[in-house]
Amino acid sequence: MSSIDSSSSPFASGDPTEISEAVIPKGTLWQMMESGIELGGERLNPILVKEARQALKSKQFVITFTLLLLAGWVWSMLGVALLSPGVYYAPGGRFMLSGYFIILTIPVLVIVPFSAFRSLAAEREDGTFELLSITALSSRQIVTGKLGSAMLQMLVYYSALAPCIAFTYLLRGIDIVTIVFLLFWTLVASVLLSSIGLVVATVSRARHWQVLLSVLLLVGLCFVTFFWTLSFVSLIVDAQATAFDDTDFWLAMAAIMTFCISHAVMFVLIAAAQISFASDNRSTKLRVMLLVQQTLWIGWMAFFWIKFEEEEILYILVSVACLYWAFAGACLMGEAAILSPRVKRSLPQSFLGRMCFTWFNPGSGTGYTFTVANLLTLLLVTIVAGLTAELEGFAAARGGFDWVIFVTLAVAYVIVYLGVARLVTLLLRQLGRVTMLLTFLVTLFLCVIGVALPLFFQAWLEGYSRMSYSIVQMSNWCWTLEEAADGNLLTFSLVPIIIYCSAVVVFFLNLLFAIYEVEQVRLATPERVLQDEREMHPSTDEKRGGSSPWDDLKAT
Amino acid sequence: MGGESRVKSQESRVKSLKSEMPEQPVIDMRRLHRFFGSTRAVNDISFEVMKGEVFGYIGPNGAGKTTSMRILATLDIPTYGDALVDGFSVINDPDRVRRRLGFMPDYFGTYADVNCREYLDFFARAYGLRGNERRRALAHVMGFTKLDGLAEKPIRGLSKGMKQRLCLGRSMIHDPSVLILDEPAAGLDPRARIELRQMIRELADNGKTILVSSHILTELAEMCDRVGIIERGELLAVGTVAEIQRGQITHCQIKARVLENVAAVATWLENRGDVESIRVDGQLIRFSHVGESDAQAALLREMILAEFAIAEFGIEQRSLEDVFMHVTRGVVQ
Ligand SMILES: Nc1ncnc2c1ncn2[C@@H]1O[C@H](COP(=O)(O)OP(=O)(O)O)[C@@H](O)[C@H]1O
Ligand SMILES: [Mg+2]
Repeated sequence: MSSIDSSSSPFASGDPTEISEAVIPKGTLWQMMESGIELGGERLNPILVKEARQALKSKQFVITFTLLLLAGWVWSMLGVALLSPGVYYAPGGRFMLSGYFIILTIPVLVIVPFSAFRSLAAEREDGTFELLSITALSSRQIVTGKLGSAMLQMLVYYSALAPCIAFTYLLRGIDIVTIVFLLFWTLVASVLLSSIGLVVATVSRARHWQVLLSVLLLVGLCFVTFFWTLSFVSLIVDAQATAFDDTDFWLAMAAIMTFCISHAVMFVLIAAAQISFASDNRSTKLRVMLLVQQTLWIGWMAFFWIKFEEEEILYILVSVACLYWAFAGACLMGEAAILSPRVKRSLPQSFLGRMCFTWFNPGSGTGYTFTVANLLTLLLVTIVAGLTAELEGFAAARGGFDWVIFVTLAVAYVIVYLGVARLVTLLLRQLGRVTMLLTFLVTLFLCVIGVALPLFFQAWLEGYSRMSYSIVQMSNWCWTLEEAADGNLLTFSLVPIIIYCSAVVVFFLNLLFAIYEVEQVRLATPERVLQDEREMHPSTDEKRGGSSPWDDLKAT
Repeated sequence: MGGESRVKSQESRVKSLKSEMPEQPVIDMRRLHRFFGSTRAVNDISFEVMKGEVFGYIGPNGAGKTTSMRILATLDIPTYGDALVDGFSVINDPDRVRRRLGFMPDYFGTYADVNCREYLDFFARAYGLRGNERRRALAHVMGFTKLDGLAEKPIRGLSKGMKQRLCLGRSMIHDPSVLILDEPAAGLDPRARIELRQMIRELADNGKTILVSSHILTELAEMCDRVGIIERGELLAVGTVAEIQRGQITHCQIKARVLENVAAVATWLENRGDVESIRVDGQLIRFSHVGESDAQAALLREMILAEFAIAEFGIEQRSLEDVFMHVTRGVVQ
């Protein structure tokens, strides 16, 4: 990590103990603890260290913390008063806990994510972000530092209410599993919301956007918190909840957990990509993450498919994945098609490498192809899973093939809509600069138009009340897919055929316009950069050279 | 810092420069352009700065100094062209440039609720300095910028001069080989200015390459090895201050004191082709003369041969302000 060659630094002198001895007082235990803290502090993210120092002096933190303690104390008094005299013999844990839970969620789910947002946005407003961005910190370290500070703040709030929550356990009526369950998921939600807050902070630097976004974020956070407390308080109060005894419940929790983690990672990567320098490769990591999420999704769904043998699972698998890829594809297509010379330095060179990895390069054409490739993989997996079920005689097998039409149509629709949107944006590029937001809006617009136009047209022809599905509704993906799921589409066999054909045509048309992106070749890394690499990592070359078995052969 | 030692160190610097010839420039601006809409903030600027040189970047407000310095500090990207720092492109290898470069912007980016030591400590950590190395860097920088006494002072309470020193300290905390200082002397009192000048000179004597901007030529003339004058995004002149003075001034102001017959001298001068705008003020005659030093010597000889009672004959140096006014056109875009 240390970017500065310590031997050449004027600050590096021979004696490493000269200062630490002066700073650390004598006394073995203290000495050990101090040096432990020192060592830990050295490895921590610098932003975390700074914000921890700053937080102790910041008004917002002190006020929130005091209010939290005060609220906890007031509720303890009030709750006990309400419960008394029963508090001595009837279990009051659930009642008390729901109060403490509400007191905890407000700072943890509203204030923590919002302050994560503010702390990154404020750096950009005050100009400190520029100073920070030209240090040796990577943009990802900046984002994780901010996220880490948010988590630290959250843990402080947790520990402030810890005695109160322990007190509810002593009151009986609530088990430790419920308490841990609540606290754990609230923690996960807080991390996830904070990472979203960080992404929002990087969206725009314009003042009016910042104001609008902060209002939207705050409203969103309050909304989430409201439903979060509502559902969890009902869980606390409902003493009959028995979900905890069910293994399926825990499996579902594990699945949700993996998605929460992968999304938090994704948001951190997005935020880091947004604040990175212009010639950096901002896309490849995100694409890898998209692939990871797709794999997770297919993995969990396949697992549940085998376990429960429900046909619905196939529908869920494909519908969610199609929505996901429509969203991701609309964003990927907004990337500029021109690779920076820096990115070109690491382009794959071999034929196989180019075949497999070109689609991970930044660019709108590669983004589209990447999306389509993932959708086709998904389709393949689904069909294999479905067919195995039919052949093996799963309980889900009904002998029908409606699901095949549904899944193929859903995938074809995404390919068509994204492809047309990309062709439109290619046209718009001729007129001026096309941003990612514009590409996204164009895609959204097409999807809405595709549904609305045939509906209005048919309603105008036949009257609203007598409307039934017809071939006019071909572009209406909502209705067509619904009909497909119901198994009615076999009477309109022309519709799927046209959709499949147009998917193929649109895809190849897009591929044609992606040729330029595919043809880009590797640029040689400048000699100065190679030289610097060697200076920074002198060992790697030597090691590789020395440990090679061929060296000895050549020598002898 | 004593004058003698400064001369010596300058000599050694020149020697080391010569011994390592041919040398790559540390800062290499290559046809840099930066447009904001129709504003051509930087319009085709090229120059080079060698190791250990202090390069002054001078131009009126809105000339494009900040814009080009921000590009050099990897905070902005050029519309066309490129800039190299120590051989690395600011566009394609900003990470490598950043490790070698310290930037002091024209604003003061600060955090609430931190003191000077915490501020510097944070940036030291951000630059990857660890443990004793970081403590030594902090001690060195605080000593150099004379912030020792203010270590625990909250940043909000600092005066302008202290803030500038803290900013300078921050920009040099990772011991960069290149320093970009955007109007460091703006708003400082004369004493703080002199101290700043000394600091910059000392840094250069330690082998740092420094690009420093100002809108006042006189402020930079003394400490810079070379200067570049920029206006409306274009570089109008580059060279040592003396070179620019010489290059720009074809006319030379001459002052002569004549003991008698002042009017006769004036008419004699008026009849010559190389003398213009003669002003008589008692015994003093001021006029501008076209030509180099030998032409001036010839003029003086002729005047003596013509038996005028010349008591004084001298060249009035044009002030740097005049040079600046002459080079720039005072056009604002
Ligand atoms: N972000 C920007 N957007 C639009 N115009 C800008 C921006 N930054 C600078 N300019 C314009 O570029 C010109 C040069 O500005 P600047 O580099 O700050 O000058 P200087 O530092 O020499 O005073 C000015 O006309 C200024 O208005
Ligand atoms: Mg400026």
